[in-house]
Formats: sequence, C-alpha cells, structure tokens
Amino acid sequence: MILNLDLTINFNTFDLSIKQSLNLQGITGVFGHSGSGKSTLLRTIAGLEKRINGTITLDALALNTDNTFIPPEQRQIGLVFQDSRLFPHLNVLENLKFASKRCKNRRLNVDKIINIIGLNALLHKQIDELSGGQKQRVALARAILTEPKLLLLDEPLSALDRKAKISLLKLMLNIQKELQLPMLYVSHSLDELQQVCDKLMVLSEGKVLGYGDIHQMIHQLNQTQTDDFIHQQTSLSLPVKMLNNGHGLTVLSLNENAEIYLPALESPSNHPLEQTLRCFILASDISISLNEPLNSSIVNHLLAKISAINIKDNNVLITANSYGQEFFVNISHFSQQKLALKRAQTVYLQFKAGAVRTYFY
Amino acid sequence: MINPDLLALFTTLKMAALTTIILMMIGTPLAWFLANMQSRFKVIIEAIVALPLVLPPTVLGFYLLIAFSPQYLPGQLWQQATGQQLAFSFSAIVIGSVLYSMPFVVQPLQKAFEQLGEPLLEASAMLGASPIDRFFTIVLPITKASFITAASLGFAHTVGEFGVILMIGGNIPGETRVLSIALFDHVEAFDYAKAHVLAISLLIGSMILLSTIYLLNKPRKKTALRLSHDS
Repeated sequence: MILNLDLTINFNTFDLSIKQSLNLQGITGVFGHSGSGKSTLLRTIAGLEKRINGTITLDALALNTDNTFIPPEQRQIGLVFQDSRLFPHLNVLENLKFASKRCKNRRLNVDKIINIIGLNALLHKQIDELSGGQKQRVALARAILTEPKLLLLDEPLSALDRKAKISLLKLMLNIQKELQLPMLYVSHSLDELQQVCDKLMVLSEGKVLGYGDIHQMIHQLNQTQTDDFIHQQTSLSLPVKMLNNGHGLTVLSLNENAEIYLPALESPSNHPLEQTLRCFILASDISISLNEPLNSSIVNHLLAKISAINIKDNNVLITANSYGQEFFVNISHFSQQKLALKRAQTVYLQFKAGAVRTYFY
Repeated sequence: MINPDLLALFTTLKMAALTTIILMMIGTPLAWFLANMQSRFKVIIEAIVALPLVLPPTVLGFYLLIAFSPQYLPGQLWQQATGQQLAFSFSAIVIGSVLYSMPFVVQPLQKAFEQLGEPLLEASAMLGASPIDRFFTIVLPITKASFITAASLGFAHTVGEFGVILMIGGNIPGETRVLSIALFDHVEAFDYAKAHVLAISLLIGSMILLSTIYLLNKPRKKTALRLSHDS
C-alpha cells in the first residue's frame, strides 16, 4: 500500500511541509519531538484536519486534493488516539459494537478480535472502570473492528506504565501479523518505535529528516542528532540461537562465530518474534578495550574495527564495525586520547548482558 | 359552558407545549452553531439570544405588537399568508414565547455542546459515523440531561409568562387568555378566592417541574465517589 503525501499546513510557528511517498507494509514509525508536526500529519491523513494545501493519495484513491476531500468517516482509515476516546455512555462491548455495526465488509469475527486482544473479562464493564492500559486495548480493538485499510496510532502508549506499554506493543505486533494490517505509528519514544517498526520516518519542525529502514534511520540519528533527546544507540534485529543457555542468558547470533548474550527471555509463548529479536544497546553502555577482556565479568566482547570517530565537546561517538554490523560507542574525549583511538584501528567492544535492551521479556 | 380557568389552563399548556417543540427545533441547531462558532460576532449573537433575560417583557411585547400589526411587514405577510390578523392571536403569543424563552433553551444546550467538544465526535467519525449518525448516537445520549433541562426550563418559563402576552395577545378566552392573565383578572375583580386557586396551582406546578429537573441533573453518586477517589 502506497501513501503519497504532498502537502503544506500553515501553523503559527512553522509550516508542516511534507513531500514523501511511504510504502506501508508492516508497521511504519513516525518519530519526532513534540511540536514536530507528527500528530497533525496523522490527523491530516485521517481527514480530521481540513486546513491543508496539497494532496494525499492512498494507492489509487485521492483522499485530499485541491477540489476533493473525503470525510473521515468514508476513508476506511482507523485511528487510535492517545487518550482512548471511548464513549462514556456505552460499555466496552457497546463501544466495540459501535464500530462493527458501521463496518461495511464485516469480514472480521468480533469474538475473535475480543479473544486476541484479551477483552473477554471486560466486555460488560463501564469505561470509567477501566485502567489506562485496558482503555487503550479497547480503543485498539474498536479501531480494528471497522476493518480499516490502514490503522493510524497517535502516541497510543504515552499515558501507560511500562508493563501496559509492553503488552500493547506485543498486541500491535500480533495483530499486524494476524490481520496483515498496515499501521502508521506516531511516537516521541524511539525505544518503542525501535521495538515494532519496520520503517521509520523522522520529522523535525514540519519537515521530513529521513525515511527508511528502522535500524538505518536510528543509526543515522546517532550521527545527525543535535540535541540530547535521542539516546545514541545500536539498533539490532538478531536471530535467537538459544532461549536459555542454562545460566539464565539468551544467546543471539551476530554471525556464525560471534554471539551476543542478554538476560534470558521469558517462555517463547510470550515472545512475539519466534526467530529474531529486536533489541538495542545504548552507546553509553558499550566500552572499548584494546585487548580481549578475557578476565572480565562482562559477557559480551566483540572484535571490531573503528570506522568513524566524531568528537563533540568532551564526548566522542565511535562507530565500529563487527562482523558486518555497525556498533555505536560513547566514550569520553579523555579515554579516546588515553587509548589513542584512530580510524581503522581494531578494538574490542564490551558490554554487559543487561545492556542489551528489549521490551519483550 | 366550560370553566374559564380550565380553558385558560388548557390554552397555557397548549401554548407552552407548542413553544417548547418549536424552541427545541430552532434552539438545538442555534446552540450547536454558537458552540462551534469562532467568529468575533459570536458575542453579538449570544447577547441577542440572552436579551430576554434582562429586558422588561413589556419592551419585547411592545416591539412585537408593532411588528405584528397589519401596518408593518411581518404582520402584513402573515395576513396575506393566513388571512388572519397576527396580533392578538394564539400564533402571536406562541411566536412571542419562542423569542422570550429562547435563552432558557439555547444556553444549557450551548454549554453542553461546548463541554462535549470535538474528541468523541472525531473518534466516532473515525469509526464510520456520519454527522447525523454522530448527533443521534453520541451527542444526544451524552447531553441528554441538558436537553431535558432546556425543554423543561423553556416550558416552565413559557407557562410563567405575563408581560409579553398581555402586550401582544390581549385577553381572548380560548385564544390568548392564559393562566397568568386569568390570575391578574381575578385580582383586578377582587375575586381573591379564585386568584388563590390559580396562584397556588402555578406555584406547586412550577415547583414540581423544577425539582424534577434538578433531580435529573444531580450527578450520580457512583461517579462522584469514583472521581474523588481518583484525585
């Protein structure tokens, strides 16, 4: 599914001006700080913003042009809002039925969706009896039951605690797989986007900074970021070699000869990705050693070759290549001088198992 | 022959019921328009709607009397269309009541629509609901209490009307002689016994109507408790 955006929206402080074609498969992330225009973009695609100049087309269908405007209720696009927006005069089941009744295709089985999202126990509850996480699950189910061609998610996790975030992220992945429903997921949390998105579009002050593969885009942000909002990190999707090596560690393979260890994942049934794991390592969690640290408690050490050194004030960002994978390392300028690190030098990267972060355990 | 006071009661109820129906039909879209209006002329329309709250009823009645008379355009048009004179007719007191009770219907509805805001309407649009669908399935059920308040206040205020009706309706039994006018007649004729009956009936009737409105608008205890628990 191709979403073509060529539009301008005038704001008081800046113009949102986007010309980008998105190939929507799986989950596409939209990242930006608050005020970058990402939520407005989503509302525009939904048809909730009318003051736009330009065109939006979804495959062959023109949603917005200079002389056509398809109203939101006819776009067959679903939207999950940050604040749920469940109808307070209806209970959970009635909220779901509000959606399914107005759906023209009715290919989805309402009970099946209720099962997948785990709402059986909540069906007859009133909306004000639900927790934040439960509300968002109902909102997600309700949006899906309209059987949209495209599902938009506007910061759906931002009001939730970590546990509820993780369960909703897993749910998004399951639903994406199960229904093959393309999703456009807006968030200011790079970590959350990293865990579920296949592609990422980065917005800043109403402009597209970049669009591409999630790992590549995150690595690009490491180099181009100008503020401290983004944690520089190495973003990985790696095959799981062993779920538990007998010592409470999960083993991922970087290649045939190199492995990465992290604290053991839960049972595979709770694990949405059976073969590969999405994880990230913060650049500040990796250190560099000139010799192989054989006598260290730190389990992960990888031979790598420095490909770039960027110095900013007293911080140094080192890019190093290990078995074809780029890693990003933050060290102090002091350490860089002490070790006399240079480009093309061979070093060992070391990081604890706990530094390999994932939401899925 | 029918008791003149019963006839006045019947005329009053007929006038108030008809006025309320018309007010709900005009007042709802007007309140919706005002709730969503962003122009700076909004305050002017709001002031016009609220005018009967502060204006002496006789002032409104005086201008309506002039407008309804056959010498002026509204009265002329009415006479051409219906063949009847507008001033001193049942239609005149209904039109006068609609204008006079307008703020009691528009203001609670406007406030309810403003409080409801866009979020739930946007959510229902995203679920495929058309504007009319949204009005009947989201707006109406959520603002139900305000609709009841608006209709009841409009009705009660119309029943209690005196000045405007006296100016444009006169005192024609079965046509424009309503309870408040009948009461005035009894007092003028020193028939205090009959005046007492009407006065106490109006008092008790209004009291019952208002108590019912406040009872319906009382926040549900369950919700109130939960809210205080959350904070």
